[in-house]
Amino acid sequence: MSRLPLLSPTEAPPLARVWYREDGSASALTRSLASAPDLLETLMPYLGQVMGESSIDLQTKELVIVRVSQLNGCSYCLAAHRPVAGEVGVPDEQLAAVCDDVPLDRLPPRERALVEWVDRQTLDPGGIDDELVVRTLKHLRRDELIELTLLAGTITMLNQYCTAFRIPPPR
Amino acid sequence: MREPFEQAVAEGRAGDRLWLYATYHCNLACRYCLTESAPGILNRRTLGAETMIRAVREARELGFEKVGVTGGEVFMLPDFAETLRRIAELLPVVALTNGTLFTERRLRELEALAGLDVALQLSLDSADAAQNDKLRGRGNFDSVLATIPRLIEREIPVRIATTVEDQTPDELAALCELHRSLGVPDTDHIVRPVVRRGRAVTERLGVELGPHDVLPELTLTADGAFMHPFAATVRGGETDLDLLVSRQILPLEAPLRRFLALVGDQPVGDDVVRSLR
Repeated sequence: MSRLPLLSPTEAPPLARVWYREDGSASALTRSLASAPDLLETLMPYLGQVMGESSIDLQTKELVIVRVSQLNGCSYCLAAHRPVAGEVGVPDEQLAAVCDDVPLDRLPPRERALVEWVDRQTLDPGGIDDELVVRTLKHLRRDELIELTLLAGTITMLNQYCTAFRIPPPR
Repeated sequence: MREPFEQAVAEGRAGDRLWLYATYHCNLACRYCLTESAPGILNRRTLGAETMIRAVREARELGFEKVGVTGGEVFMLPDFAETLRRIAELLPVVALTNGTLFTERRLRELEALAGLDVALQLSLDSADAAQNDKLRGRGNFDSVLATIPRLIEREIPVRIATTVEDQTPDELAALCELHRSLGVPDTDHIVRPVVRRGRAVTERLGVELGPHDVLPELTLTADGAFMHPFAATVRGGETDLDLLVSRQILPLEAPLRRFLALVGDQPVGDDVVRSLR
């Protein structure tokens, strides 16, 4: 059970209601954040930017989102994003690999390098050495690595939020 | 920010008064209280004096013309007379009070308000002591009636606010006779219905608020900025968020920017049909 109130559209502050769908529905995450509308005002566009399509395709982004959520054991984010990853075209085998259902060496070289980076960033960022940076930059442009690193950090933040407050996962 | 605010005021989409909820603490526990204020509440939600002064100073720069201070009971704050004087030096102000805490010492403190544009608005719901005290607590009627002449003697302007639930026209007429006899003219008597928020929900009293029943007036509390003074309500110990503008209250530009975005939806000139003040 959620440790935060999940506000209905009539309970939510007016400036939070813009993040609800026309039929009044919204994700449990959004409904929990509605109690802090000033933060939603900047957080939601930021999440849209960092999680949405950019110069990096959505498959790559969803692969990172699912991998980080798997590492952090966030049931909410896994339940929300595993289906999305499939919908945007992440191959089943890659999805199975980042969810530890099959070995990571099933991933193509670029995705394998990305997952290695994301794993170290999430679990041991101080342990990232120059060699890993160089190796990762063979597969990703510098600006891509910046964006994906911020994405992975953002997902860890959301994982912590959803887990700490027991936000109920979508069914 | 000043220009769009003044335009919103000119078009009747917003009021030019900044409201401050000084504290939710109160020595009374009125049945219709919007904020569940009472002597024993744990969360008093008090705005500090310096926060209030800063808000009013910024409000003046942003084009606000006047201030209202409410609660809770504002005189539960021991230094409120001095805070009120400092606010009144910046903008005209009305402070809402239940009128029961005016000791001789407090009245002497209020003498410092002489010459400033300040009024005290006392709550009085009926000319009948028993009827008044049924809603507001035993002894309230006598206390308020004793206070009003003592304030007027000191040339402190007094208004009376009557919150009506089921009074008859005759009962209201009797109350008007009473306030006139005390030296408070009709122009300084406000009559308004109980609003069904806060404790009035639990007590099943009052009228439901429609989206355009109250003129939006930026209202600051310790919990954040709200759309109007009937918005910052508490039920079951939790603050209602449905009319929260922002959690941030200072600098005042921050909630005012969001407030103006919201009042953009208000009908122009609609203030003339709204009766809740």
